[in-house]
Amino acid sequence: MKGRIQVVMCRLCSTGGGVLDVDALLRIASDAPNVGAAVVVDRLCDKATVASLAAQAKDKEVDRVLLLTCPKNEVSPFVYQTFVKKARINEFLIDSIDLNNEVVLPHRDDAQGAQAKAEGRLLSSISRMARLQPLERKTDEMRTKNVVVIGAGISGLEAAGQAAQRGLHTVILEKTGREVKAPGVVMPESKVVSMKGEAGNYVLTIEAGQKRENLECAAIVVATGGDWSDARGPLADKCRDAKPLYRLRQAVDEDRVPTGTVVIVDTPDPKGTRTKVQDYAWDEALDCAMDIKRKSPSTEVYLVFQEMRVSGMREIAYKEAADLAVRFIRYDRKNPPRLTAKDSGRLELTDLAQGEAVALPFDVLAYASIAANPDNVAIANALRIPLSPDGGVRRGSMQRGPVATPRPGIFVCGSAMFPKSESAARAEGRAAGIMAAQYAGAGKTEYGGSVAETDAEKCSACLTCVRTCPYEAPFIGAAGKAEIRLQMCQGCGMCVGICPSKAIDLHHYTDEQIAAETTTYLRGDF
Amino acid sequence: MADRRPKVVGFCCERHAMDSSIFSARSGRTYDTGLRIIRVPCSGRVDGMHILNALEEGADAVFVLGCLEKNCYYDTGSVEGRKRVEYVKSMLSEVGLEPERVEMFNVSSSMAWKFPEIVSRMTEVARRLGPIGSGGGDGR
Ligand SMILES: Cc1cc2nc3c(=O)[nH]c(=O)nc-3n(C[C@H](O)[C@H](O)[C@H](O)COP(=O)(O)OP(=O)(O)OC[C@H]3O[C@@H](n4cnc5c(N)ncnc54)[C@H](O)[C@@H]3O)c2cc1C
Ligand code: SF4
Ligand code: SF4
Repeated sequence: MKGRIQVVMCRLCSTGGGVLDVDALLRIASDAPNVGAAVVVDRLCDKATVASLAAQAKDKEVDRVLLLTCPKNEVSPFVYQTFVKKARINEFLIDSIDLNNEVVLPHRDDAQGAQAKAEGRLLSSISRMARLQPLERKTDEMRTKNVVVIGAGISGLEAAGQAAQRGLHTVILEKTGREVKAPGVVMPESKVVSMKGEAGNYVLTIEAGQKRENLECAAIVVATGGDWSDARGPLADKCRDAKPLYRLRQAVDEDRVPTGTVVIVDTPDPKGTRTKVQDYAWDEALDCAMDIKRKSPSTEVYLVFQEMRVSGMREIAYKEAADLAVRFIRYDRKNPPRLTAKDSGRLELTDLAQGEAVALPFDVLAYASIAANPDNVAIANALRIPLSPDGGVRRGSMQRGPVATPRPGIFVCGSAMFPKSESAARAEGRAAGIMAAQYAGAGKTEYGGSVAETDAEKCSACLTCVRTCPYEAPFIGAAGKAEIRLQMCQGCGMCVGICPSKAIDLHHYTDEQIAAETTTYLRGDF
Repeated sequence: MADRRPKVVGFCCERHAMDSSIFSARSGRTYDTGLRIIRVPCSGRVDGMHILNALEEGADAVFVLGCLEKNCYYDTGSVEGRKRVEYVKSMLSEVGLEPERVEMFNVSSSMAWKFPEIVSRMTEVARRLGPIGSGGGDGR
């Protein structure tokens, strides 16, 4: 069955200030199959206008609306709501096309071509629109509004504080037994074992001391931090005896102070191909260099850095280090320091300040290497979120927000992603706390709409969809056929094309709908 | 068919791809009218069949545009999309058609400059190869 469409053109948004011939478009729409009404209005987002359009929709017995307006997410929500309320149009049967950005602006130097293309766009959208089915939006109440924060460090405490400030109950899981002052409940010596449930209704199994228990929550913030690491890189690989800075520091603390010449480089990977230089490597290296000089003034110490940060109180340390005769060499990433040959004991580099090449013989080469927490592997497995190649919890697309993982309701902040400075960790903690609070505070999750659906008749239970879906929505149900957990399905459609039995389709983007739109659009010559 | 304009179909994901097209338009960039944008939720939704259907129905070139692989809204979507495109390209070679007619690209929403670049690249390909089976366009 194909539906009857009301086509509405907004003169303000879709005519490009008179570039397009609206009357011609209107005629084409009126004559198109499945169109029950076609109108032009001066400005769509006007309450009285929308009300009269809804009345017309009801009158003409149309069951769907195609708006020629601004980009979909910029249309005022009341426009949709009015059609839903006053004309009982299914909310998923209102769609819009954005002629201004798709046709008018990119073809401003070709008015004739733009007009022909606008007509093609209109007809192709009509042919897709006619084939859409009404869909249903579903909601689940959240059983709890708890926000769980994993890690009571700088970012975790900030996140918990923000969530608590917004009236949510927070539970902080901290691995160590140290005393933590924070709002809500703090569980020392605890960690996450596994997670069940769907977005907004997660159930964590945690180990607290000797006990195992379940913890229901609506949102989760991962704030497990990072630490010194032994991770090597291209520079360190060329020098067998190169050691991570923290090990040098341990040795110095234990009074095993090196003699001769010590060179500390800001990263094991000066070119930055694999890892970035960590913000605070500089402070740590500075402290270590000063300790060496204090304990063994005859040891030569060089700090080889891309950037020397001297902020606030650190300026004093910088001067102190200079007084202790610590030497500083700045280099440029494009011209990174390298060993003259493998294990040669000579570092070749260009000093940015002097602009000249130096070959620096050394006895000890140390590099600042800081990495995300190794615990992340277990946490990512439990929460089923991805890790980046260097072991940090990977955030999702930026469009989901800067601290969101790809899994709804799970956020990440601070050095758990990759090592960063205190102030950056704090800012991210704040953001994650606010986002988690917003997510949990909604009290319900919405799902449904344009989601995938399987056809049990065709399914051969090959598990391809189960393995492909990033959100674990498909599963093999009791009948031995694939089914979709609607709560999990995000409507990406990745499972559809990959199913060898063509047993899945995605509502609103079915093969038939996509083909109809493409074919119609290709028909015109422009 | 001297003045026939090349027809290019661009399957664009609703996320970074559509955003980059809008940003490109708003920042004053123009491109050939022959482009037909077909919106899909994710480049991973694109199926070889959609591409072949477009070629069959008159498209001279087809591209699929998704998010950058490390910044894909659906995490692995644009990686999947690329696999489908590679598959179609290999199929085209097998039946003796030019695989350059089909391409996968990735953008981030802020790459306004890249969208018109992709369109002109594919329009060029379409112009050079001409309609399918024509044995060459005006480039030969
Ligand atoms: C040695 C060192 C020196 C630094 N020096 C500086 C500096 O001079 N200037 C600067 O700006 N920044 C510095 N930083 C960086 C700064 O400390 C971090 O940016 C900041 O602490 C990151 O905050 P966070 O909340 O991500 O992690 P953290 O503050 O490290 O907190 C992580 C918390 O998570 C807990 N945890 C870990 N694993 C688990 C688990 N599996 N389950 C439960 N809880 C867990 C940890 O016990 C800890 O409490 C330094 C970092 C280190 C490691
Ligand atoms: S991919 Fe298709 S055939 Fe295989 S299990 Fe999923 S729905 Fe069934
Ligand atoms: S449409 Fe996407 S989220 Fe939904 S089941 Fe398929 S792959 Fe998973």
